[in-house]
Amino acid sequence: MLVLNDVHKAFGRVRALRGVSADIDKGELISFLGPSGCGKTTLMRIICGLTEPDAGEIILEGRVINDVPPDRRGIQMCFQNYALFPHLTVAGNISYGLQVHKWKRDRIKARVEELLHLAQLEGLGDRRIDEISGGQQQRVALARALALAPKVLLLDEPLSNLDANLRVHMRATLREIQRKVSITTIFVTHDQVEAMTISDRLVVMNQGVVEQVGSPVEIYEKPRNEFVAKFIGYVNILQGVVKDTSDTSGSAIIDTELGESEIAPGDSRLSRGEKIYIIIRPEAVRIDTRRSAGQMNSFAGSIRSVMYAGSTVKYTVDVGGKALIVDEYDPTTHGIRRMGERVVAEIPRNVHILKSGSRASVLT
Amino acid sequence: MAQARALSRAAWARENATEFIQTHVVNIAGGLLFLLLVVFLLWPISAVLVKGVYGPEGFTLQFYEKFFTAYYYRSFLNTLLLGVLTTSVCITAGFCIAYLTTRGPRFLRGPLKWLTLLPLIAPPYIFALSIIMLFGRRGFITQLLNLDLQIFGFTGVVIAQTLAFLPLAYLIIENMLTSLDSSLEDSAANLGASEGKILRSITLPLLVPGFLKGSLIVYVMAVSEFGNVAILAGRTPFLAPDIYTIVTGVETDFHMAGTLSMFLLLPVAVIFLVQNYFYKDKGYVTISGKPSYAEPRRIGWLILIPMLVVASIAIGLIVLSFAVVFIGGFTRIVGIDNTVTLAHIMDWRANHALISSLRVSLLAGLFGAALGILIAYVVVRGRVQGRGTLEGLCLAGFAMPGTVLGIGYLLAFNSPPLLLTGTMIILVLNSVFRFAAVGMEAGITKLQQLSIEVEEASRNLGASTPTTFRRVVLPIIFPAAMYGFIYVFMTTMVSLSAVVFLTSPAYPLVAVFIFQWAQYGYIGLASATTVKVIAIVAVCLGIIQLMSRWTGFSITRRD
Repeated sequence: MLVLNDVHKAFGRVRALRGVSADIDKGELISFLGPSGCGKTTLMRIICGLTEPDAGEIILEGRVINDVPPDRRGIQMCFQNYALFPHLTVAGNISYGLQVHKWKRDRIKARVEELLHLAQLEGLGDRRIDEISGGQQQRVALARALALAPKVLLLDEPLSNLDANLRVHMRATLREIQRKVSITTIFVTHDQVEAMTISDRLVVMNQGVVEQVGSPVEIYEKPRNEFVAKFIGYVNILQGVVKDTSDTSGSAIIDTELGESEIAPGDSRLSRGEKIYIIIRPEAVRIDTRRSAGQMNSFAGSIRSVMYAGSTVKYTVDVGGKALIVDEYDPTTHGIRRMGERVVAEIPRNVHILKSGSRASVLT
Repeated sequence: MAQARALSRAAWARENATEFIQTHVVNIAGGLLFLLLVVFLLWPISAVLVKGVYGPEGFTLQFYEKFFTAYYYRSFLNTLLLGVLTTSVCITAGFCIAYLTTRGPRFLRGPLKWLTLLPLIAPPYIFALSIIMLFGRRGFITQLLNLDLQIFGFTGVVIAQTLAFLPLAYLIIENMLTSLDSSLEDSAANLGASEGKILRSITLPLLVPGFLKGSLIVYVMAVSEFGNVAILAGRTPFLAPDIYTIVTGVETDFHMAGTLSMFLLLPVAVIFLVQNYFYKDKGYVTISGKPSYAEPRRIGWLILIPMLVVASIAIGLIVLSFAVVFIGGFTRIVGIDNTVTLAHIMDWRANHALISSLRVSLLAGLFGAALGILIAYVVVRGRVQGRGTLEGLCLAGFAMPGTVLGIGYLLAFNSPPLLLTGTMIILVLNSVFRFAAVGMEAGITKLQQLSIEVEEASRNLGASTPTTFRRVVLPIIFPAAMYGFIYVFMTTMVSLSAVVFLTSPAYPLVAVFIFQWAQYGYIGLASATTVKVIAIVAVCLGIIQLMSRWTGFSITRRD
């Protein structure tokens, strides 16, 4: 529905976007995720027409809209700081776009009521903007953007000004409203948990380029490179060389930093002597005290740090000098391990592999 | 044993006293500052106003009666009209230029800004000189185009005052526009509003407080800085020159001057009240969120062109004026004998006045900045009641027509205990208390950005309040102090309205010199001396700029 085709933008010598392409489907909520300064906001401004790209095309419903002025695009943006008009009331803000488009007064009134209801703001229409809470301000901004029933809604870090609890709550509200009006939505954020929980698909960006596009599961389980792997949560990356492959069992023996391991590489075809990187999420590693280190994929080590977080405990396990991050769930049942305790860490057989030859797979 | 206890009690008492002073030092300072403002602002102002209703036989309204029977009420109406016209034109032009320098084409921003600020370094009545030289009966443009212009009267006065106070209007509006979150305008554009609609429905309403603040200052300046008015008024009467004539003329009449001052002050008080009470709650603070650093949208031609036209006319006139005054300083008699001469510039009569102006201005700058910063500190950090009054009093000094404050000083400090008439101190004090508000405002802004925790951290590390002020606060608010210094210094160098009543042969001021020469028609001498003043102010600013670059303190950026 909305296609970005090789979009470039530079501000002086800073190259904010270096060829960004993406294909956004109708009705989906897609997140653009990346660290600060990766070009997300610039991309949003280009999509809604506030900034002109240096090169590349923005295609909406099959039509190139580069030269369409912002007010004719049918793309509405919700600004990071909400950009609510402080001299207007809640209703005044929501109806601003309708008034600009010269709607009839009674139609405006009806539409504003509808939106107040949708955004759970009933009865607040006459309030001043500084008389309502942050979460309410957020919803006013959303209602204002939805008023003209745009084809695409852009949300630029919409939750970044809210405190942690409200944020989680608003995430759900946002998703609910988006589903209700089934509007194509682009959500910009630097918070990977937020992006994963709210989106149908993710676009991971870094330094002005798209690193990977995919569903949250794909992005988490099969990151295409080290940047994506590291940006989405904690990760262990083991360097290794393929020692042997077996076609029958579909497994391979890898000489890793920890020692010899047997893994199932999944889709990737490995050849003997190849240098690879094994991606292992902390929750996939198991630690045990009773198990002996001699078994396959089990390595002896000691606990170097303990971070208690209620539902999980995050350990760093030192295995022959290599630090392995391990999450263990439910410490209430399993107990908390002590610093320096000797343990055996077992890595899983099914892992995701990055080949050292693939594009920028390992950045450092 | 008893001795030991006595000793310890003495020590305890001493410690207690130290602690008391330490914890209350801000409040004690606040009290002292308040006292200073009362003596040097409230008292002189009251002295003037009381004169207007208190004759030789006690309370009387005879002076007010005279005001309405003599021609004075016409002066009042003229002054009102002059103020309103000047203010409207100034605010409009200032807004256009400010809009261009904050949202216009990038390459234009710097030049537009600096050219607009140019009049700050020159005496305001430079424009009276230039208008006479350009459009007078023997003016360059009059002769060139063979025109028959009537510049004496309203037209000339309004043009000259507008150009003179455009920088003030511009600075205030530019400041407001910069702090206006540009995502509001982006958001309106995104909702489909046209450029014109955005301007009308978003930008302008949000700037109302700025317009009011700017109007107040421009109005005060326009009605009280009477250099241009006195030179260009012709037969049209205005209040400020009337007061000047009444006080310095053959028959000095302070009672009448007091009455006229009241009418000079009345509209100012009205704007001040409107700004502070009716718009207080409506001051829009940008709500929530990080500022956006996005590149502003492009302005459409429909908006850009009219604004460029307004800006070009204003800036064109400013540049032309500076050029013609420069030429005038090196011309024998402009329009009659256009030969180049160095006679005016070599004239020694003004040199003494130049030196004494420079001394007064530097001292006023130093003390004015210090006073402003101290008041700012007490206002932001103090815990006593009446801090608002302190700030208001200081602002009132700034919003006070210079003419009124000048006469006030003349009346208040003409007799013991504070006999200051004829000294340099009275000139310095007058400028200090008139302009301290600029440093104060800048200081308040800076201090409000500085979290109190930073100071608490210093105290927590064992530093006393004065040490904290010196080691932590001062370095941080130094740019604000510098800004205050520059403003007070520059304004004192060129301002006329108050000091014209206070100069003495021992301490002549160059602004007064130029004014008198211009009034008597010595345009060449007046121009040459103006050029000298501009040169001195420019050099001083250059030195300050260099110093600030070496020391790493930025003064041009006031954030």
